[in-house]
Amino acid sequence: MFGAAALTAAGCTPTKATLIASDPDLIAALRTARDLAQASEALGYDDFAADHHAHIETLERLLRPSGISEQAAPDIADAAALVEAEAAGSREAADACLATDGDYTVVFGEIAACRAAHAAVLA
Amino acid sequence: MSVVDTGLAGEYAAIYAYGAATVHLGGAARDLAEAVEAEHRDRRDALLDYYDAHGWEAFAAEPGYDLDPIEDAEGARELLLGIEERLATAWRAGIASDEPAEREICLNMFTDGAKVLARWRTVLGETAADPWPGRPA
Repeated sequence: MFGAAALTAAGCTPTKATLIASDPDLIAALRTARDLAQASEALGYDDFAADHHAHIETLERLLRPSGISEQAAPDIADAAALVEAEAAGSREAADACLATDGDYTVVFGEIAACRAAHAAVLA
Repeated sequence: MSVVDTGLAGEYAAIYAYGAATVHLGGAARDLAEAVEAEHRDRRDALLDYYDAHGWEAFAAEPGYDLDPIEDAEGARELLLGIEERLATAWRAGIASDEPAEREICLNMFTDGAKVLARWRTVLGETAADPWPGRPA
């Protein structure tokens, strides 16, 4: 009782705290990173796959406690398809970077730049 | 000084550095240096257009920039790679901007810079992989 009164006096209202359950752009970035990691490994680009795994680790940490389920294997069969997928993934992250008003602007921008760099080298 | 000002100053300095260093290079590194110098000129022009579009007056390039003496191809490669790394870091800082147009041009410049870094590292026989390009070491 005293606690509630003190909070009110301090300008605080007794609303229940809620966790941010998810962010659609973060989820999309994570799913794309998983696709690109899997395809890069399958095609023998292990160093680029490591980049995508670094993104996955960061995105999963940002999305905690929301568990994002695994997904079906991507349809990326050769280097040309991987270039396309990296470029599309870069555009997706760039769009998220420009649209977000949250704390993830720089992370999306870094992921967009990394994927664009992969596409530039593979092309 | 805004982040775009910092980036424009960096692009001016990069053009100057490529002009001084490219002559020391041969083969694939020289081809890349010539291509990237042209890209920096295009980026400078895009930035000047950005200033014009906002009704701002852009500052001019310095007549010259202090560079360490370039003795050979290795020195030229080190200089140019270092410039590209610092430029990527400068542009990366701008993508946190709350101003949409500023964020967009910084993101475009940063992305182009990351591509250049990856191409340089490939030509130098290094891995092009870098999950977080432009992050300060």
